[in-house]
Amino acid sequence: MKRLLSSVRDGRGFDIVLVAFPLGFLFLMAGLPLLYNILMSFQEVDMFSLGTFLRPFVGFKNYSDLFAQPETWPILGNTAIFVIGSIAGQFLIGFGLALFFWVNFPGASWLRGLFLVSWVMPGLVVGAIWNWILSGDFGVLNFMLRETGIISGNIFWRSDPNYSLYAVIMANIWLGTAFNMILLSVGLASIPGDLYEAAELDGANAWQRFWTITLPMMRSTIGAIISLGLIFTLQQFDLFAAITSGGPNNSSNVTQYWAWDLSFRQYDFAKGATISVIMIVFVMFASVVYVRSTRHEVRG
Amino acid sequence: MSDTNRNRLMLVIAIIMAAIYLFPLYWMYITALKSGSEMFATPPSFWPSEPQWGTYTFVWESRGMGRYLWNSLVIAFGSVTLITVLGVGCAYVLARYRNVWVDIGLFLILMLQVLPASLMITPIFVGFSQLGMLNYPRLAVIIAIAAKSMPFFVVLVRATFMAVPQELEEAALVDGNSRVGAFFNIVLPLARNGILVSAILIFMQAFGEFVYSKSIIQAVELQPASVGLNSFMGPNTNEWNRIMAYATIYVTPILAIFVLLQRRIVSGLTSGAIK
Repeated sequence: MKRLLSSVRDGRGFDIVLVAFPLGFLFLMAGLPLLYNILMSFQEVDMFSLGTFLRPFVGFKNYSDLFAQPETWPILGNTAIFVIGSIAGQFLIGFGLALFFWVNFPGASWLRGLFLVSWVMPGLVVGAIWNWILSGDFGVLNFMLRETGIISGNIFWRSDPNYSLYAVIMANIWLGTAFNMILLSVGLASIPGDLYEAAELDGANAWQRFWTITLPMMRSTIGAIISLGLIFTLQQFDLFAAITSGGPNNSSNVTQYWAWDLSFRQYDFAKGATISVIMIVFVMFASVVYVRSTRHEVRG
Repeated sequence: MSDTNRNRLMLVIAIIMAAIYLFPLYWMYITALKSGSEMFATPPSFWPSEPQWGTYTFVWESRGMGRYLWNSLVIAFGSVTLITVLGVGCAYVLARYRNVWVDIGLFLILMLQVLPASLMITPIFVGFSQLGMLNYPRLAVIIAIAAKSMPFFVVLVRATFMAVPQELEEAALVDGNSRVGAFFNIVLPLARNGILVSAILIFMQAFGEFVYSKSIIQAVELQPASVGLNSFMGPNTNEWNRIMAYATIYVTPILAIFVLLQRRIVSGLTSGAIK
């Protein structure tokens, strides 16, 4: 007993205590729910069996039911469009901005940091602001597009099934661009400057320098940012809740919102769990890519 | 073109780009000050003709914002405290050793970081309801947020601990400190700034958290401001000036903290997420 105490105070035991509590907590509150989720996706869960663990097992019935529903494939398609559209927009605009701010001028780093306000704001507030900007009759976006002659009539961003998903994508691009830009700036700053000097002496123009030095040197950063983007876009929930609620008629619904909607609006917890399991497999895949691309840094 | 002129030109372009990017924020502040009729004017006015400051007090009282913000604060402080108490030690150990176990632990933590809250809420809600945790909804939300955000915190703080030279700790041990003493007297003070910045980041996240609060907290008087904003925005609302006033009151403190500590927050964020 005494040896144990002194080990905790002055030896290996100290480290073990420090690590055991947080890891135990994470296992209880994140690991177990994960397993419980998988269990529920094979059970029949309704309001009456919510309080018990021993629910009837139904095998893969939840999965087959899910894919028999007519809205499943469109929603999966929406998720793909949402993810690809958001990541492409965030990354391209973010990269453009990062390249611009890379040219060092007084005030550059302060102004660059200011862009991050979009990222620290609560998602619900961002959603509320965009909801108002995208409003059909009185929205300022429609006004600007009309004035510049891009559209002739108002677009009903939130209630037109052809546009509702893109309304959320737009808001999400705004939300995530700054984060992409900051991380890309860090990557750019770590490229040694003498590479460019050498290339300039060899007569390479700006375009060639970008393709032969900047992009190859940024490869692992870009890989990490794209996979982080995938992770963050699949976590995006607040904007859907604040702008379209997945509507109209599921035209802007994505899996992460649908899973919640099934569980907490339609009280079909088994279906919600089933979608969660499918999506978590995807997210896990993305995170393996992310961890691999930052592995060198993680090890220091 | 001389260097100063080039710098000035770049600065002007940068300010214009920042202005375009931050326009939604400007629009929130401006809309909050417009009257009901000015808000729906075509063409929209980009500067309020008669600022309606009374909207703020009206919204604050009619929506009971004091209570909502108090709940947000309770939830945010609770989660930050729990995360800091548990996360700092974990980050320290993960920064101090290099072996297979540390790699495995880091990998698991990074994996947990990526689980979307809206997918995890189903099992958490069902599990909490079975344990009777739903009778303490704010505590349940705090625990759920802590489990969600702790991995991020550990990754950020670990980067801070990596920057503390190990020689200092070894010197303290040679001088007769115990491990506990060296940790609290030497390592923690040196890592204080990094821990503080990470805690502020977590605080801002928890202050705006929505999914868990919306699903777990049913009683209106215990709900945080994000849920309050959500119920304010009905499907066919036309009170946009009031909603924007609500949003203004809600985010302005966060924005103020961010602008004040911007440099530290940005560098803390980038050191952990990616090198």
